[in-house]
Amino acid sequence: MTDRPTLDILQLTVTLRGGRKLLRDVSLKVQPGEVRALVGESGAGKSMIGKAVLGILPPNIKPTEGEILLDTHHLNAMTPVTRRRTVSKIASLIPQDPLTALNPVRKIGPQIVDPLIHIHGWSRDKARERARELLDRVQIRNTDRVLQSYPHELSGGMRQRVLIASAFAPSPRLIVADEPTTALDVTVQKQILRLIRELQQETGTAVLFVTHDMGVVAKISQRVSVLFAGRVMEDAATEDVFRNPQHPYTEALIAATPSYSDLNRSFSPVPPALIADLHAKIAAEEAAS
Amino acid sequence: MFARTLLFRLSTALVTLFGVAVVVFVLVRVAPGNPIAMMLPPGATEEDIARLTALYGFDKSLPEQFVIWLGGVLQGDFGTSITLRQPVDQLVLSRLPATLELSVMALFIALALGGAVAVIGARRRGTGTELGLDLGSAAVLSIPDFLWGLLFVLLFGVLWPVLSISGRIDPRIEFEFATRFYVVEGILRGRFDVVGSTLAHMLMPAMALALPLAAMIAQVLKQNLKEVLRLDYTNLSRVHGFSETAVILRDALQNAALPTLTLVGVQFTFLIGGTVIVERLFAYEGLGNMAIDAVINRDLPLIQGIVLVFAVLFIAINLAVDLSYALLNPRLRNG
Repeated sequence: MTDRPTLDILQLTVTLRGGRKLLRDVSLKVQPGEVRALVGESGAGKSMIGKAVLGILPPNIKPTEGEILLDTHHLNAMTPVTRRRTVSKIASLIPQDPLTALNPVRKIGPQIVDPLIHIHGWSRDKARERARELLDRVQIRNTDRVLQSYPHELSGGMRQRVLIASAFAPSPRLIVADEPTTALDVTVQKQILRLIRELQQETGTAVLFVTHDMGVVAKISQRVSVLFAGRVMEDAATEDVFRNPQHPYTEALIAATPSYSDLNRSFSPVPPALIADLHAKIAAEEAAS
Repeated sequence: MFARTLLFRLSTALVTLFGVAVVVFVLVRVAPGNPIAMMLPPGATEEDIARLTALYGFDKSLPEQFVIWLGGVLQGDFGTSITLRQPVDQLVLSRLPATLELSVMALFIALALGGAVAVIGARRRGTGTELGLDLGSAAVLSIPDFLWGLLFVLLFGVLWPVLSISGRIDPRIEFEFATRFYVVEGILRGRFDVVGSTLAHMLMPAMALALPLAAMIAQVLKQNLKEVLRLDYTNLSRVHGFSETAVILRDALQNAALPTLTLVGVQFTFLIGGTVIVERLFAYEGLGNMAIDAVINRDLPLIQGIVLVFAVLFIAINLAVDLSYALLNPRLRNG
């Protein structure tokens, strides 16, 4: 591990207009070359963290406290224009739903190439060359045909490959993968997951991997942050979390994960009593502070 | 596939036109008012009346009259105007260009104004600017085109007389027109004094026609833009460092334009309907103005001719809208 993290989030609080806090005091680091999983059930705020880093929170949600350091740049202190340019050069996004992540009225080619020209100021030829190279790498045959296609002419799995190629194409130092396999069917999920892991290892890109699936966490990440109600419950090495979960919620999440390799292993949903208990504890803490 | 669609549309268009022809033919004849009575001076004899009635064929039964008229139409003979004593097709074709130029100018104004307001509103969504634009367009929308026309006459014709309030072109301009498309011909022949004068005459009626449509486009397009701006591909563009305005223009606009287009198509036909009154208001020598005269004078052949031309226009516009879908939406291109 090198001296400074690629992403360093310090006590980030994100607030909905009206005052409700969607994230509270969230801190986490992603070291260069590391995959950090963000896990939690829907509504825990895991996607919100990635969006806050990339600057794509909805207009009514704002980061109100804390710091986001992306490769030592203080993002929250920047003007919107500088922030946008800085983030585009360092980070990229693999979105959740490949069906809505490509513009339906534009061909694939420009959708990969134009951002490269915009981000790095490359020539069109160089950007196109890079796009081909990445499409090859994500095992898309017939690269030229795909570049000439509209999104609706490709399958969901193909579109997700295109989006992965597009995310790695500008050689980012950080990739936010926002549940990139959730919208895909199970067989395609496995291939896509393997692809992201391979590319990540080849390029040494740091990844913030948002998921609700502990099985995916085990396969892809070195470290994991467990989120509940906008707070980090546990932050540890993935191995340790599975071997010896420190927080009862983490334990329950692990127990709630079905295993495809061992169908006889039993699994049980996170007990509602535990969730109620956690909410009560949080409410009490908030009342005290 | 495309050819088949077109063929189907054209055949349904023919059926529609036939229906329109029947309805108009019957309506103008059962409505009160006798065209022959309008033509003769007071004190005409019974004999004169009978002669003229026979001359125009009004002594025959309705179905007979219709068959005679339709037979003529199919051979390109739309009859003769009772009041103007000229072939209907010539009269209509001489006025149609004026109405087309006015409607198209109004459409461009509506698209430009409405589009700009929608983009600004979407860019400033959630702010006071958006609210202000919403209220403004709601107010504009609630005033009909002819009232806008009256207001403009008052403002720019009377109180601050900068624009001409009547006619189509300054009569002092000397120019031999080969067609009736004054603007188009003026541009093609490089006579920009002609173009300028025609546009200046068209500006107020075109604005009056355009404003309600512009307000409607502003509201619907902005709503569609806001929906598109929540989708992931716009988020990806933001991550790629494109500004919000660039995201709206590059990614959102074309997608949001698709559902807006249906509205524009339908509303454009209403706009053309609006020319009837607005042309009258500005003494603009178009088809609408002629239609009012024809109705007042019970000029049955002329009314029929004008209505048929309007029907053809409406059908053509709807067809054009459908075809432009395919242009904007790649998913429909092979359909």
